[in-house]
Amino acid sequence: MLKKHPLTAFILFGLLLFLLSNRVDELRVFQGATVAIYVIAIASIILLTGYSGQVSLGHGALLAIGGYAAALSRNHWGAPVWLAFCIAVLAAAMGGYLLGLAAARLSGPYLAGTTLALAIGLPSIANQFSIFGGEQGLLFDIGAPPASLGADFTQYKWYFWIAALAALIIIYWLRNVMNSRYGRNWKAVRGNDVAAELAGINVGRNKVLAFTISAGIAGLAGALLAMTISTVSPGAFPLALSFSLATGAVLSGVTTLGGVMIGAVTLVAIPEIVDSVVSRYETSETVANNLPGLLVSTLLILTVLFVPNGPVEQMRARHERRAKR
Amino acid sequence: MTRTNRRKLALTSAVLAVAAMTASSLPAQAASDPGVTSSSIKLGITVPMTGIASPGYNKIPGAMKAYFDYVNSNGGVNGRQIKLVIKDDQYIPTTAVAKANELILKDKVFALVGTLGTASTKAISASTQLAKRGIPSLFVNTGFSGFADKKAYPTTFSILPSYQMEAKIMGKFLKDKYADKKLALIYQDDDFGRDALAGFKQAGITFGTYIPYASGSQALPATGAGWISKLKASGAEVTVLFGVSSASTAALANAYAAGFKTQWVLGSVGGDATTIAASNKAYVPLLYGAKGFSFAPAPSDSTDEYIALFQKIYSVAQPTQTFDNNVVAGMSNAFLAVQALQATGSNLTRAGLIKTVETKGASFANPFLTPLGYSATSHVGATGYWIGTYDPTGALKPDGGKYTVYTTDSGNGPVVESSYKRPAMPAKGLPN
Repeated sequence: MLKKHPLTAFILFGLLLFLLSNRVDELRVFQGATVAIYVIAIASIILLTGYSGQVSLGHGALLAIGGYAAALSRNHWGAPVWLAFCIAVLAAAMGGYLLGLAAARLSGPYLAGTTLALAIGLPSIANQFSIFGGEQGLLFDIGAPPASLGADFTQYKWYFWIAALAALIIIYWLRNVMNSRYGRNWKAVRGNDVAAELAGINVGRNKVLAFTISAGIAGLAGALLAMTISTVSPGAFPLALSFSLATGAVLSGVTTLGGVMIGAVTLVAIPEIVDSVVSRYETSETVANNLPGLLVSTLLILTVLFVPNGPVEQMRARHERRAKR
Repeated sequence: MTRTNRRKLALTSAVLAVAAMTASSLPAQAASDPGVTSSSIKLGITVPMTGIASPGYNKIPGAMKAYFDYVNSNGGVNGRQIKLVIKDDQYIPTTAVAKANELILKDKVFALVGTLGTASTKAISASTQLAKRGIPSLFVNTGFSGFADKKAYPTTFSILPSYQMEAKIMGKFLKDKYADKKLALIYQDDDFGRDALAGFKQAGITFGTYIPYASGSQALPATGAGWISKLKASGAEVTVLFGVSSASTAALANAYAAGFKTQWVLGSVGGDATTIAASNKAYVPLLYGAKGFSFAPAPSDSTDEYIALFQKIYSVAQPTQTFDNNVVAGMSNAFLAVQALQATGSNLTRAGLIKTVETKGASFANPFLTPLGYSATSHVGATGYWIGTYDPTGALKPDGGKYTVYTTDSGNGPVVESSYKRPAMPAKGLPN
C-alpha cells in the first residue's frame, strides 16, 4: 500500500499519531515531539551519509543555526511561526551550502574532522556577539495553541502536532527525492565517484546539493528543538547531540530511510527505560548515571557488528535472498 | 515482494510509535497539589551528574539528600517525609527540560529545588511553564540576576548573590586594599562576564588591562599562556579572574610555569578547589595566597554550628566523600527548603509555599553569613560576600580570622559592611 499510495499511507499514519496524542499523557506527548524531531534530524544525516556518502559529525552545529535563526527572526522581526521555521531552514541550508563547498573537496576522516570542528567552534560564536544572548541564550516562544483547539489543548500537544506534521512532510518529501534523479545520482556518487563522473554526473555539485538539503532539514530540526525547550542556547547543541544523532542514524541504518524511527525512539526511550529500571532496584549512583550511555554505546557496537546497514535493510536483504532461493 | 516488506515497515514503525507513547498508562489526577500526601513531600532536582560540568556539582544532590534524610529521621516536616528525586541533566538545557518534564509529569514532584546552570534553569522555566502551572522552583543555583526578577520568574527563587553584586563588592575591596597597584582583569566574554563588568563599573574600578576570553577557549593550552604574557607585559600586580574554575586552573598553572607573580583575586565561581582538583590535584596548592569570595561559612570552619552539624551528618551519609563547599551549598539549599516547607505549615500548597518565602523568607533560619533578600518584590537569596585567602589545601579562610561581610544589591545601591547577625541555629539543626 505504501508503495502504491504513499501519500495515503502517510496521511493515515498522521491520523494515527493524531489519535494517539489525544490518548496518552502529557509526558508521552512531549517525548513524542522529541522523537519526531530526532526523526527529522536523523533523516538529514541519512540523506547525507547514506545517500551521498559524506560523513558529518557536526550536525548539532547545523541544528544550532536553525534554532538561532528561528529565535532571532521571531524575536526581532516578529516573524510568524511558520515563517520562523522557513527562515531556519534557509539559514541552515545556506550554512550547509558553504560547508558543502568545502566538504566536496574533502572525504572520509578529513570531512568528519571538519564538521566536528564546526560543532565545537560554532557554539562559542554565540558567546561573542550579544545578539545571540550568550551562555543563557534567547527565548523562543511560539505562543499558545490556537484557542479553537479548546482549553484542554496543552502546549506540548501543540509542539507535538507541529513536530509530527513536520516529520511526516519531511520524510514523505525525502522519500520522493531519494527515488528521483537526484537520489540516484547521490547513490551513484556514494558507490563510486569515479564511475559516477564517467557516467556524466557532476560529483562536486551533487555533493554540495546533498549537503545543502541535509543542512536545511537539520535546521528545521534545530528550530523544532528550540521550540520544545522554548529557548536557544549554546549548551542546547553540544557535541554530545551531534554524536547521539550520528548514533541514531547508525542504529536506524544509514543507507535507508525506512528505519529512521528506530534510532529516534531508541534515543528517547533508553534513558527513560534505564531510569525506571534503576529506580526499582537500589543501584549505585555511578552505575545509574552512566548506564544510558553504556547501553546506547553497546547497541551501537552490536549494530555495527551484526546489522551494519541497519535492521530494516537487513530484513529486506534477508527476504530478497530467501525469495531468490 | 517489496510490497509486503514496505507494509511490514509501515506496520513496524506504527507499532514502535504506539509502544513508545503508551508505555505508561494515564495516571489519575490528584485533587490537591501534586507531590504532597499526608505522609510525604516529593521534591525534584536536575543537576549535571555526568559530563563536563559534573565534577563538584554532582556532590550537591547527595548532600541535599543527606540533610533531608536527617530531617526525615527526626520526624520529617510537619510529619511528612521528604523524598528527593534526582535527575542527571548533563548541563545540557535540552536534557534538563526533558528531565524536568519527567519530574513534573511522571514523578509528580511538589516543587523543583536547586536547579543548576543559567541556560538550563531558563529553559526549564520557559518550556515547562513553571509560572503558569504555579510550580515553585526553590533556590536555583545560578548567579544570573534575572531569576530574582519576580515579574519574569514569579515562582522561581535564587539562592546565590548575583554576579553583579559580587563584582561590586570585589570592586570596593580592590579600591580599599590595592588602590595604588596595577590592576588587571581576566573575564569570560559573555553575560556572566558582562554582569561583572557592569558591577565593576558601578564600583568605579577601571583596570589597566582587560583580558576577555571566549567561554571554552580556556581549555586550549595557548590561551592561558597568552594571558600570562599579556599580564607580564602590563606589569599587573593584582589580577582579578572572573571566570569558571577551568579558567582559574589555566591562569594559575601558566603563571606558575612562567614564574610570574601577581596577587590573584578569584571570583566565587572560579575558586572551587574541588573542581580544580578534579582536573589535576597538583593545581590545588597554586590557589595558596589568592583572594576569594564566599557567602557561606568556610567548609573547614567547624567552630560554625551549621558546619559542625553538616560535617557530622555528611560523614555518616557519605563517608567516602570530602566535605567541601559544594556539600555546604547542597546542604544549605536543603536546609532552606525544609525551612520554607516547615514555615508554610501543614496545609501545604504550591501557592502557599511561594507566599511563605516571599513574606517570611528574609527571616528564615539559614547557614549563610549574609542577609537573605526574599520579599514580595525580590526573589534574590544571599545578598553579599565575605573576603578571604586560600590556604595551601585550597580552603578559603576569612581575612583577619573573622567573617567581615559586605552586602549590596544588583542595582545602584552602595556596598556596605553588614551588621547582620545570623539567627542562631534552631535546636538540632531542625527548622521550626
